[in-house]
Amino acid sequence: MAGSLRGAARQPVTPAERPRADRPAPDAGASERGAPGGLARAGSAAARLAGLLARRAVLLAVLLALVFGAVELLPGDAADATAERGESAADIEARRHLLGLDRPVLERFADWMAALPTGDLGTSARGESVAALLSTPFPNTLLLGGLALLVTVAVSLALGCWAALRPGGAVDRAVSGSATAVLAVPEFVVAVALVLVFSQWAGWLPAVTIADAAGTPASWDMLVLPVFALAIPQIGWNTRIVRAALADEATAPHVETAVIDGLPRHRVLSHHLLPGALPAIAAGLATSTGMLLGGAVVVETIFNYPGVGSVLAGAVTDRDGPLIAGVVALTGAVISGVLLLADLVRAKASGGRG
Amino acid sequence: MDATRRQLLWAGGALGTTALLGACGGDDPAPAARSNGSEKPRRGGTLRVGALGRASAVTRDPHGVQANESDYLIIALVYDTLTAPGAKPNTAPRLATRWTSSKDLRTWRFTIAEGATFHDGSPVTADDLVWSLKRLRNTQSGASRMPGVAARNIRPYGRNGVELVSDYPNAELPQLVRLSTFILKRGTPEKEIHQSPGTGPFKLDWYRGGNARLVRNDAWHGGEVLLDAIEVRLFESPQALSNALLAGQLDLASNVGAVAARTAERRKDIQVVRRRDDMPLPIVMRTADGPFADPRVREALRLAVDREAMVEQALSGYGVVGNDIMGTGDPAYDRSLPQRVRDLDRARKLLAEADFDLSRTYELVTTEDVAALAESATLFASQVREAGVKVKVVKRDSTVFYDDVWLKGDLYTTYWGTNDSVVFFASKTLSADAAQNEAGWRDAPFDAAYRKAMRTADASERATLLRELQKIQHERSGYLLWGVADGIDLAAAPVRGLPKLPGYGRVQLERAWLAR
Repeated sequence: MAGSLRGAARQPVTPAERPRADRPAPDAGASERGAPGGLARAGSAAARLAGLLARRAVLLAVLLALVFGAVELLPGDAADATAERGESAADIEARRHLLGLDRPVLERFADWMAALPTGDLGTSARGESVAALLSTPFPNTLLLGGLALLVTVAVSLALGCWAALRPGGAVDRAVSGSATAVLAVPEFVVAVALVLVFSQWAGWLPAVTIADAAGTPASWDMLVLPVFALAIPQIGWNTRIVRAALADEATAPHVETAVIDGLPRHRVLSHHLLPGALPAIAAGLATSTGMLLGGAVVVETIFNYPGVGSVLAGAVTDRDGPLIAGVVALTGAVISGVLLLADLVRAKASGGRG
Repeated sequence: MDATRRQLLWAGGALGTTALLGACGGDDPAPAARSNGSEKPRRGGTLRVGALGRASAVTRDPHGVQANESDYLIIALVYDTLTAPGAKPNTAPRLATRWTSSKDLRTWRFTIAEGATFHDGSPVTADDLVWSLKRLRNTQSGASRMPGVAARNIRPYGRNGVELVSDYPNAELPQLVRLSTFILKRGTPEKEIHQSPGTGPFKLDWYRGGNARLVRNDAWHGGEVLLDAIEVRLFESPQALSNALLAGQLDLASNVGAVAARTAERRKDIQVVRRRDDMPLPIVMRTADGPFADPRVREALRLAVDREAMVEQALSGYGVVGNDIMGTGDPAYDRSLPQRVRDLDRARKLLAEADFDLSRTYELVTTEDVAALAESATLFASQVREAGVKVKVVKRDSTVFYDDVWLKGDLYTTYWGTNDSVVFFASKTLSADAAQNEAGWRDAPFDAAYRKAMRTADASERATLLRELQKIQHERSGYLLWGVADGIDLAAAPVRGLPKLPGYGRVQLERAWLAR
């Protein structure tokens, strides 16, 4: 997708090639929304929102079912995995019964799902409440992922716009080139490199996160390296999307008109280019949310960050179905929320033209 | 599966870090040990300790299953066991200062330190001891933690003692209760177990998700504690643990491993503490049946392995060669037995005599549970190839390994966290009826020597029997112990008084102090 967008971006813009000449200007859409019949529209918008929500909820439930199924497919179960070395088969069997692992997986899944709406995420393989196990790590991960998303938004918008203002120039080439390079680098390589350079060589920043009595990072500077380790690959991806979406939008007639009218470049950017490019940018960022939370598993381990990533990794080792499902339910809900938001942004920006 | 991927990742990252650091480091020789005995111990300061563990597996019950080193460290500093690991002898007093046995070595009486109190100020009584030990005995793993002692045979003895009656003569009972006999306050409700006051050198200030802050117990029965506080932090990966120490965020990285030590050897401001005889990494050859049942075949494999090369390559040199006897840290370990060395000609000859099928490929099953384990398997395979034996290494996920291979397989790798007692292995893995007889070994003369040793009160007579037992093991057991890994801690320059003991002795931080 990025490839084809960039292909379009590199094309010289000639009047003959305007692909969306029939597209109404955003202003027209705005006046339409203010027209009589707004109530009916609001009603249908609410219905659409409810539909979107329902779809996301169903998707999440399917995902959770898959998670339970996948844990079932792993060799061994939680009773084996948490056994002490040399524990007798009878003891393991007794714990298997205690954990309810001798019941069919469907039954366990149904029970777990039934308790979910009350906020009960079940009991872990070690007998702890899953909700309690996640109560500190999950907000920590949200903080890490949220900050990484903010940095990604700010930096990729800035870089993308900077490059788009001078298409084909040195800045554009440098930004597009390095964006491609960093998006290909896995988070753990970025993380190890950041620790080496900024902590072990320069000594400017802490190498790992140390939690305080509240279970949260003991000081703010511990967040810097993990946030950037997560954000850098996503910045690469989103910069390219921003750059491409702006280039795409630049071919729209209203933008060309604005340029011909002699409006200042930053005004063209903020009032004519960005609004049209917003849906594509929002979709790109929404995708990044999933990548950020996924990357957190790796990054949290490297930085010893007290988040759900480390809990999840351990839970997989323990074949701890309820704990894995708990993590997936929470992160899945967040990702669904962000995707929904992106859908709404797109719906609003395209003014019901979709 | 995911764990394997994660471990690979750490390994990759750690290797990357090491290579890069190595490239930019100087050529300074490794720093000499800093602690010189003439320094006067200083009081005060907070020791920041990192230890390995998994956030998903934190446990706070002193009698629970502590999968995390960080949890065990916290528990062992807050609570006291009856006895503790020592250097020579390998059993040292802890809460119990004296112990005596009946003539038949079945009844053991432990008397605890005079004036020992809990952190809430109340004195420790015989009832606390009995309550705690019964609770331990009644846990799932109680039978192996209080071997041979039924719950009903745990009784009060005097005002501040406890009497344990074993089902059989057991000269080594004080040694077998070193690790888990944490004493809690009697009657602590199950839900509040983690809040029970301890008697240990440090009091719990706060605990959260595997991390804790402990403060000095000025009233500790064991003597003066110098540190104001110890902060324990849980680390998921050895790489992060090592990075934290190198960046100055910790004063001690406990049991961090050889990769970290290689990185740190070039840093003058870091002490590398090598605790010898920490972890045996034997290859198990099944003796009961299968292709390795013939003792000549096992002898051939023991002669085919190049021990020096294994230690050098699999352990990066942080270890010592083994002589096929488990428990090398025991003061009773017999160093007079000839060291087995590589002899490919004799190995080939023995294989021929035993009519060993050299056309077959044999599977050696291993895991990545601890560092160097899988590497040792790969090296072993290439070394025995030179004697004509074809071995294919098969890596298994830990859960699968313990389900399908351990105690059953023909050829597999294993490891143990305790290595300072030959009796420990005789009772756990070598005697015919041992619950964890890894090689399916049954050897009547060995069992006889072991049982006799356990009935013998006289120390020198027992030492003779223990030598006999080791000689048999050296000759024909199912173990090929090529080497023993050092336990490696990294410490910041000012840290003094660190434990040098292998295994669980690493948690004895009550004598540590800071020279700054």
